[in-house]
Amino acid sequence: MPHVLPKIGSADLTIDEVAARLASEFGGDLVDVRVQEPDTVVARLDRADLKQVARRLRELPEIAYEMLNFVAAVDWLTHLESVYHLYSFAGNTYLELHVEVPRVEPELETVSDVWPSAEWHEREAWDMMGIRFHGHPDLRRILLKDDFVGHPLRKDYVDLVENHPNA
Amino acid sequence: MPSRFETEAPDAAMQLALDRVRASEEAGRGSDMQGLGFNQVVVNMGPQHPSTHGVLRLVVTLDGELVKDVIPVIGYLHRCKEKLAEKRTYYQYIPIVDRTEYLASMNCEWGYVMTVEKLAGIQPTRRAEFIRVIMAELMRIASHQVALGTFTADLAPLGTALVFYMFRDREKILDLLEEASGARMMFNYFRFGGVRYDLPDGWVEKCRELMARMPRLIDEYESLVKDNAVFLQRCIGKGVITQQDVADYGITGPNARASGVPLDLRRTRPYSVYPELDFDVRLGEHGDVYDRYQVRMDEMRESVRIVGQCLDMLPAGPVQAGTLRAPYVIAPPPGECYIGQENPRGEYGTYIVSDGSRYPYRLKYRDPCFCNLQIFPKLLRGNKIADAVAISGSMDMVLGGIDR
Repeated sequence: MPHVLPKIGSADLTIDEVAARLASEFGGDLVDVRVQEPDTVVARLDRADLKQVARRLRELPEIAYEMLNFVAAVDWLTHLESVYHLYSFAGNTYLELHVEVPRVEPELETVSDVWPSAEWHEREAWDMMGIRFHGHPDLRRILLKDDFVGHPLRKDYVDLVENHPNA
Repeated sequence: MPSRFETEAPDAAMQLALDRVRASEEAGRGSDMQGLGFNQVVVNMGPQHPSTHGVLRLVVTLDGELVKDVIPVIGYLHRCKEKLAEKRTYYQYIPIVDRTEYLASMNCEWGYVMTVEKLAGIQPTRRAEFIRVIMAELMRIASHQVALGTFTADLAPLGTALVFYMFRDREKILDLLEEASGARMMFNYFRFGGVRYDLPDGWVEKCRELMARMPRLIDEYESLVKDNAVFLQRCIGKGVITQQDVADYGITGPNARASGVPLDLRRTRPYSVYPELDFDVRLGEHGDVYDRYQVRMDEMRESVRIVGQCLDMLPAGPVQAGTLRAPYVIAPPPGECYIGQENPRGEYGTYIVSDGSRYPYRLKYRDPCFCNLQIFPKLLRGNKIADAVAISGSMDMVLGGIDR
């Protein structure tokens, strides 16, 4: 089998060096870049930049973030937040991207064409939190039934009998 | 009143499969087999099909015996684990973690407890750390036994022979876990800062005795299958996961290691006392069904090694940091934390957002099976339906984890 992935940890950078590298590489795109011990860089991101930053992160020389670990959606009452957790084989470090999404018309660009594994995680975020992903190949509910009404992990969700017909 | 012969309207996944069939027919891409004009048939495999090991449903489009398209449908075992976390204190939630991935409850509990400890700044005692490693590795052996046993049962030549051998020995491991925790499968054993009970008298000797016999038992399993020509033919070269797939689909655990990617969180992101222990990350070469089987077999041997070392190194001391009452009122400071932990199936991560109250504000699991399952359409396409069963068995899915 051809070895296509870099050796784990081959970049041999400390987490602070990775954070500095990301901050300089992405200039104004990534804000609040900080290090969460022991091996995670946390950064905020404007949702308009998500797609191009995702593309560049995957192609980043030396510490390419090749794997998307998961996408988590959080309801902060004032807004929603989508959290992308990435892993770099060469750097053996994680990157956590926080993207703010408004509560009214929560829409984001999909990253499933950059990391195919995002497909189901985005479906889950749609199912549970109601975030719509533009350009997603198949945005259906994933864990709940097709005819379920509402997005139950939102903090203002009220569970009514009418929400689950044919239950 | 509907006629009893009337079929139900197709649901969204079924409709999607039918739409794809229609689209491919309209585009003139019917059968790939020259000279044969099979119709494409859409079949529901599961959710109550024995070979899917749980309530996994695969909507399979078949052309004769050839799998053309697969649409996995999940959610039949959804128990709102993430929603339940909102109304339970950190402490009350521990038993619920057990029930996510029920074949590796100890490991799941550990993942959750470790994340909360990191958030709250609790340091478990050293004896507790060793007990945790022992429990997690015993659970890993038991989990691989189920995985390999049911996988070989899917392959016709062996029938259920290996299942019986493996379940016989798995029961001995579960007995050990029961003796320590009080429960056979749903342990509720881990606590913030330690474990619930210290090991009972004579437990270490019993465990040592079983671990001394384990290598021979694993040899016995292997002798049953490794020279079986039919087994080898059905495994070798089937369902290859490339290293590119590992990155693309976020595959972790033995499935990634079978493809030669040394992604083992016990080594790449070491936690607890794993840095002090001597064990190898066993890798496959080709990423096919056989390698996934072999990696799991090898990992059982490594786990036996780890447990043996831990029993030798087990220090004396308390198994719980602070007083036993302290964890009941745990309220971590506001913040968020993600910790991945090497489950028998891959990276089992817990992402917790705390708002400073006694309840998790948001809890999210990164389940290894959920991520591994995504590759199914790519992996099964183009295979015979019988091989599709073998390949899906080799991926070791646990629906409790996928559906949460």
